[in-house]
Amino acid sequence: MCENELINDIFTKFQQSLDSDQETREVIRTICKEIDQISREAVTYLQIIHHKEEGISQACLKTRGLFEKARQGYLRLKEAVPPTDYFKYHEHWRWVTQRYSFLIALVIWLEVGILASHETVAEILGISPIEEKEGFHLDIEDYLIGLLLLCSELSRLAVNAVTRGDYNKPLQISRFVMELNAGFRLLNLKNDHLRKRFDALKYDVKKIEEVVYDLSIRQLLPKTADEPKIEDSKEADS
Amino acid sequence: MSGRGRGYRGNRNRNQQTLSSVARETALSLPADSPVLAMFKTAARQLNERQDRHERLVKLSRDITIESKRIIFLLHSAITKEATEKAVAEANDRLNKLIKGPFKCIGLELEKSPAYLHSRAVTAGFQEFIEAKTLCSLMDKGVLITWDEVQKEMQYTVKDSADDGDTERAVVTMLTPTDYMLGVADLTGELMRRAVNSISSGDSQECFQSCQYVRDLYTGFLGLFGIGKELARKMNTTRNNVAKVELAVYALKVRGGEAPPTLLIQQPPMTDWEDSTHHSDDEGYY
Repeated sequence: MCENELINDIFTKFQQSLDSDQETREVIRTICKEIDQISREAVTYLQIIHHKEEGISQACLKTRGLFEKARQGYLRLKEAVPPTDYFKYHEHWRWVTQRYSFLIALVIWLEVGILASHETVAEILGISPIEEKEGFHLDIEDYLIGLLLLCSELSRLAVNAVTRGDYNKPLQISRFVMELNAGFRLLNLKNDHLRKRFDALKYDVKKIEEVVYDLSIRQLLPKTADEPKIEDSKEADS
Repeated sequence: MSGRGRGYRGNRNRNQQTLSSVARETALSLPADSPVLAMFKTAARQLNERQDRHERLVKLSRDITIESKRIIFLLHSAITKEATEKAVAEANDRLNKLIKGPFKCIGLELEKSPAYLHSRAVTAGFQEFIEAKTLCSLMDKGVLITWDEVQKEMQYTVKDSADDGDTERAVVTMLTPTDYMLGVADLTGELMRRAVNSISSGDSQECFQSCQYVRDLYTGFLGLFGIGKELARKMNTTRNNVAKVELAVYALKVRGGEAPPTLLIQQPPMTDWEDSTHHSDDEGYY
């Protein structure tokens, strides 16, 4: 039957496109798994920042080595993904890329105390920061979510730094996160994943504020020149 | 703790540090033109552009959906042969207008941005259009229009007027094979409706033909593996369509000889045409 043949033809062609799609996905999945493992290793290394001050620079150095490995992975990923189909397969590396954005931003903050820009993060991963019609890049949303992850981690660090007796760090963290918070408010977020993650930022901010407040009412904050002297007060409820 | 504490302490001693004053001081100490904020301003611009484009595409897609549904309705409305021919001609005309209008706009809109970034914005319109297009081609020529043929129709040449003469560039509105297949899955619903309608108009030949076509398509879908989530979901509807159309043909065979065709009139209720978001209404009734 002639019509049947046409239908057969249509379905065979579609099956072929499905097959080649599956093959590409398989390759991408394998690479993403490797990259993911490296990122988990890096996360584990960096846990030391919460309990051992002296270990921080060492951990940063080790993590930098892992970034180099991840960069190799991204290089292969870039080759595996057809240049036009970045967003077709985006799901596969979205999470792991967000984690890398976070890790890189964290390491850079620990090292020099500044915010890693979109370009810097992309450069460390060996990919382009610019979204073009074709090609592999670091998506702006993934980068921003990485920054939100960073804020959560820093809120934890603020608490642990105080436990360690480091009263300077919470202030530094507070200033940094506040600035990020102000930055995120400039974005017009719609009701998507980024927005949901951003909504959680206020809890991190609150936590950090409370730490700084606790320190300030106990006069534990390091003195700056222009700060007025505050009278001592003991708090019963905190 | 913070809310209660703030008010209480604030009233008791103005000089004292409060949670909100700590926060305010930090916020005020931020420089207005820091590199961080500049970075966020760039990001905001990028995100806004993306969102605006998305909204425009959703609107175009919605326009296409509505017009496609109307075209399908038009194709179903004809009963006599002459009326059908007229309806098909008009439908072809309107489909071409869609290709030259909204589809071209989508192509231009997406010209500079990566493929698939906005595929979710336009998929509904594409599917509905394919449904109308394939139904029309079936009624017109008796064959299903293929993906390549539709894709070929969506290639445009755009003229740029520049100082040093006009330049032409090619713009393609990409139709993904998956969107095409999703549209074809919806087509089974329309064919079922057509089969049932043709019983009521007494054209049993037409009915058998449509029924066979639904079967063939269903067979094709059964043979696929590794289909996406969306297509898998549509398979249920397709299966129901096959069952319904086969039952209708059975009824026609068994009882058709006993009663005049007019007694079998059972028009599907068509109240939900404007509902563009759901695909489940494509199942139809009989």
